[in-house]
Amino acid sequence: MLLTLDILTTAAILFIVSIGLLAIFGVLKIINFAHGAWLTVGAYCAVVTAKIGLNPWAALPLAFVIGAALGGLAEHFIIRPLYRRPLDAILATWGLGIVLGQLITLAFGRDVQLTPNLYAGTVEILGVDYSAYRLVALGIALAIGTLFALTIERTRLGLSARAVIMNETLARSLGIDTGRVRLVVFMIGAGFAGLAGVLLTPLTSVDPNMGVSWLIGAFMLVMVADASYLALAAACLVFGAAQVLISTFVSPILGSIAVAVLAALVLRISPKGFSRA
Amino acid sequence: MVKWSLVGAAALALAATAAQAADGKPIVIGIPIGLSGANSVVAPSVVQAAELAVEEINAKGGVLGRKLVLEVADDASGAAGAQKAFDSLIYQKKVDVLISMETSAARNAGLPAVTKGKVPYIYTSFYEGHSCNRNMFVDAWVPEQQVPPVVDAFKAKGAKTYFLIGSDYAFGRGMLGFAKSYVEKAGGKVLGEEYLPMDGSDWTAIVSKLKEAKPDALITSTAGGAPNVTLTKQLRGAGVTLPFANLALDEGTAKSMGADAEGVYLSASYVTGIDSPENKAFLAAMQKKFSAELRTPNDLSVPEYEAIYLYKAAVEKAGGTETAKVLEALPTVSFTGPRGTITMSKQHHAPLTMYLGQIQKDGTVKVAGTFKDVDPGEQCPKLP
Amino acid sequence: MLETLPVAERAAAAPRGRRLSRAAPFVVAALAALALWIAPPFLDTFAVNVLTRSMIYAVLAVTVDLLWGFAGILTFGQAAFFGIGAYATAMILGAYGATPLGIAAAVAAALLAPALLGLAVGWLSFYHRSTPLYASVISLVVPIVVVQLIYSGGEWTGSSSGLVGFDVLPFEIEGYFRLAALFLIVVTLAAWILVRADAGRALVALRDNEARCAYLGLNPRRLQIRLTASLAGVAGLAGFLFANASGVVAPENAGFLFGTELVIWVALGGRGTLLGPVLGTVAIDYLAANLSGDLPFLWQLLLGTAFVAIIILLPGGLADLVGRLWRALPVGRRVPAPPRLVARTAETEATAAATPILKVEGLAKAYGSLTVLEGIDLEIRAGELVSLVGPNGAGKTTLMRCLSDGTEPFTGAIAVGGTPITGLTPNRIVGLGVGRKFQVASVFESLSVADCLRLARAPHDGLSPVGQAETLGLPQPALDVLRMTGLDRLLTRPTHLLSHGQKQALELAMVVALEPRLILLDEPTAGLTKAERTTIGTVLKALTAEGRIAAVLVEHDLDFVREISSRIVVLHQGRLVLDGTVEDVVGSELVRTIYAGGAHG
Repeated sequence: MLLTLDILTTAAILFIVSIGLLAIFGVLKIINFAHGAWLTVGAYCAVVTAKIGLNPWAALPLAFVIGAALGGLAEHFIIRPLYRRPLDAILATWGLGIVLGQLITLAFGRDVQLTPNLYAGTVEILGVDYSAYRLVALGIALAIGTLFALTIERTRLGLSARAVIMNETLARSLGIDTGRVRLVVFMIGAGFAGLAGVLLTPLTSVDPNMGVSWLIGAFMLVMVADASYLALAAACLVFGAAQVLISTFVSPILGSIAVAVLAALVLRISPKGFSRA
Repeated sequence: MVKWSLVGAAALALAATAAQAADGKPIVIGIPIGLSGANSVVAPSVVQAAELAVEEINAKGGVLGRKLVLEVADDASGAAGAQKAFDSLIYQKKVDVLISMETSAARNAGLPAVTKGKVPYIYTSFYEGHSCNRNMFVDAWVPEQQVPPVVDAFKAKGAKTYFLIGSDYAFGRGMLGFAKSYVEKAGGKVLGEEYLPMDGSDWTAIVSKLKEAKPDALITSTAGGAPNVTLTKQLRGAGVTLPFANLALDEGTAKSMGADAEGVYLSASYVTGIDSPENKAFLAAMQKKFSAELRTPNDLSVPEYEAIYLYKAAVEKAGGTETAKVLEALPTVSFTGPRGTITMSKQHHAPLTMYLGQIQKDGTVKVAGTFKDVDPGEQCPKLP
Repeated sequence: MLETLPVAERAAAAPRGRRLSRAAPFVVAALAALALWIAPPFLDTFAVNVLTRSMIYAVLAVTVDLLWGFAGILTFGQAAFFGIGAYATAMILGAYGATPLGIAAAVAAALLAPALLGLAVGWLSFYHRSTPLYASVISLVVPIVVVQLIYSGGEWTGSSSGLVGFDVLPFEIEGYFRLAALFLIVVTLAAWILVRADAGRALVALRDNEARCAYLGLNPRRLQIRLTASLAGVAGLAGFLFANASGVVAPENAGFLFGTELVIWVALGGRGTLLGPVLGTVAIDYLAANLSGDLPFLWQLLLGTAFVAIIILLPGGLADLVGRLWRALPVGRRVPAPPRLVARTAETEATAAATPILKVEGLAKAYGSLTVLEGIDLEIRAGELVSLVGPNGAGKTTLMRCLSDGTEPFTGAIAVGGTPITGLTPNRIVGLGVGRKFQVASVFESLSVADCLRLARAPHDGLSPVGQAETLGLPQPALDVLRMTGLDRLLTRPTHLLSHGQKQALELAMVVALEPRLILLDEPTAGLTKAERTTIGTVLKALTAEGRIAAVLVEHDLDFVREISSRIVVLHQGRLVLDGTVEDVVGSELVRTIYAGGAHG
């Protein structure tokens, strides 16, 4: 039972962390290497919220807005000039990540920051005492997934985004302002990354480097998922389960590299990853 | 003849001034330290402690009439940075001695330069033990000194079964490896020993294993800072409340964890609450010198302070800064500081008084036990 | 005669300039070696130590530059290979001491262990249709896994503390400085020779246009895997030197952060220039040793900002800036001598008239529920010039794709010269004698006309790994194409400066140079002038007239089709609706209906 809950909540956390990256990768076809820095920025929004004495949950909208605003700037000044050079975009966003990390360090110092707990305590569920926050995170992941699905399936923006994903040239010839779609999607993706940063604060230490350890896993999941949020959900479940099972029954050390290694192998065998399903 | 004697007199005079200059020349202490990287949280407090020691010594006339000067170099908390920092200090700044706390990787990376450059080196960080070099002395604790107070205390409370969790690196494995053998020697049983990579952030499976194993007590030894906070948050999130000793916890980190750290045990050779005149004087002097800028003194900064005094004593005994003589003197001199009387007399390591502390609700540490002069054990049997 | 005269003149002038330019790198290398050899006494111990390591890092930068700057493989993995070499050295020297045997074993292990892992990584990263992004991602995973293994290695690897105190080569620091300098110079010189040599052009070709490489019969996968493995070996050797020179190895030496640092140095120095990365690495690392101690965070911030700015504004790095200034000077503008064109006798044996060159039976292909091709049966024999016509969306280009790439999922059978091609990658089909010209001219944009042609001859003549051949041997038809289009006078011109028509002609010449038995051409005349069309038509007719080669072309221009074809095949809605002589088809009512209202109604 504990195992099932661990798998579900682990998958949920992976999903929360990588959905912003997926949005950007899907539409812009670039990997935002500064994703880790956005997680960190989001988490520091929680620190600031606590410092000015607001409710810890108020950090969520704040992180979304700040993440999206920074995303807009990054898209305009860094991503757009590199549209035709996707590998260079990886490098430039990595550089951006370094810069953001150092700016955070200069502003807040290197120290681990104290953040208020969003939701403390445990609940008894199906016979086991389980972390309440992880269950909340599971709910939030479902909510984010639903919100994402509705945006993609039901809104004009979603329609445009889907058109750009399928065939950008065609989309442009149909009168879709693809430049604007890319900007808006990048902002939303960055906003979700900021949001994820806040949601991570009850689980991890908040310091200028906190994002890096989540980066590679998110990255691999998104590669496997290609551009589909359903495939991402499936990938999070499968690889999250692999991580938990390997950690539990073999070794947590192997478990921690399971996502990266397994995803690499899956991509080698089936280059389209999970998106075909 | 006259000419010759004149020249001779001039030469003598020159030699005399040269000797005087050498005497008046300041003694340079090199501090290679992680101003950036993993150690950057604690490094400022270490530098502050060194600055206080130097100021105090210089105010009382220096060492053998020579002033002390500090040279600080960032080693980025890693091996590559340490190589640069040690080279810079030894060859460029020509320091007389190196005194500092560092990660084990940085220390090891610097040791070849210490040997080649023939300088004494006092290592002031607690570490996993068994690092041996003719030029290096250690005035901080090793597992043999830190673990027994914890296990003895848990045993006294009736704990029989233990669970060990750590970061997968030399310190984490060294500490828990020793803890395991000590627990077993004491008749206890280790139900599980689990590690996560240093930069790992998801302890889910390990926490669940811990809950399934239902031990009487938990001992953790993660990398400092982030992994420590992450593990503690996830343990508390999962509702783990059993007796819990954190071998990598310091007072500063405990404070930044807030309520999550309450009740956790730590074992250290220094806590701010030590009730001795030396400690009170030290804390007051730190407060006076740095006031608002003060970084809370801790188990890594106080050994730095004391090491500078130990070096002073060794130079005075050796009659100069010549490396061979200083190395000969170092194991024989003592200094009574905030942690008590320190002598690095045992195989380049020091017997220390250890304190068992428990974190209070407000983040302060209450001393729950004192263990006098705990021996570092067989660290470097090949060294005198 | 008028045309050959300037060529003859240039040929006479060439050898002196060639000899000079060929000797230059050796002279520069010798001077650099001499300067670095006598440098240590003039430097303080700190500088000697720091520069020794910087030069070893610069060796890695050279390998990153070859992979990324030249071959287009963005890699973060060189750090892992370097770390493995260093750890292998430390572990072996620690166990057996610096005895001759121990040293030999350490060198061998430092070279072979990374090279073997490089092979595995290469296999994982490069396969038919793998993307550059995927290869980069793998190169990220490798150092992460390697570092994890080092952490878990306990006593063996010293875990996080690394290994220290092992025996090393009996050198003083000056000795290591000189050794590192020599190693760096040798590696840089070898790399320099390689990239200037014909084989080096294959790397650039891979970066520019991997598909074109495959369709020239080169095996991109094998090239990429070999490059990865051999440069992993070089990185491992650098690791050997590093372990000896510094006396310590640590996990971060193998880590992914170090891998990204290498890329940053190369980017700032100037990718694709070799010297830029070398100087960039040494300068930045030396600067870091002096500055980062005083301003640790600011240093990182400055480096990060400079990196982002360079990537966006100056992708060629600082070397590009210097290069531009240099070329602005009169001495910097040097036109390389073109190779001499030589005719080669054709090597293709005549195919027995009995076996068709191409045989297609029951070919069908669908994208999901959309059927694109269905029930195609086709036989083409030597000497035929078959035009494939039909309206847009009839499946012409898809058919061409199936004929040249056996990994396309299709049903039915396709055989070239009797060999079934199902499952074969394009380069192997080229090996069967199929040459394909794409609709949009597919050439190597950063290479010269001569280099493009030489690559097309690589499967026949090979590529020199050390020098530039002075002659360029091409079969007569390829020479004809060049002559008729005037490309023979533009051999040294970079192809990105060619006109659209010239690019089309160049690609045709490249395909013809392959000496294929079957040429597939997708709209070879699209966007060409009348004169250019006539030229291409003449070439195609001449090629097939000898009766050894067959050609299939997709074409919209029915006048052109009528003029040159020996046979016309009409595709409509994925089906083959008509197959006959020019007269049959042109007079057919069916074709009129299909093209109803078109230009030929």
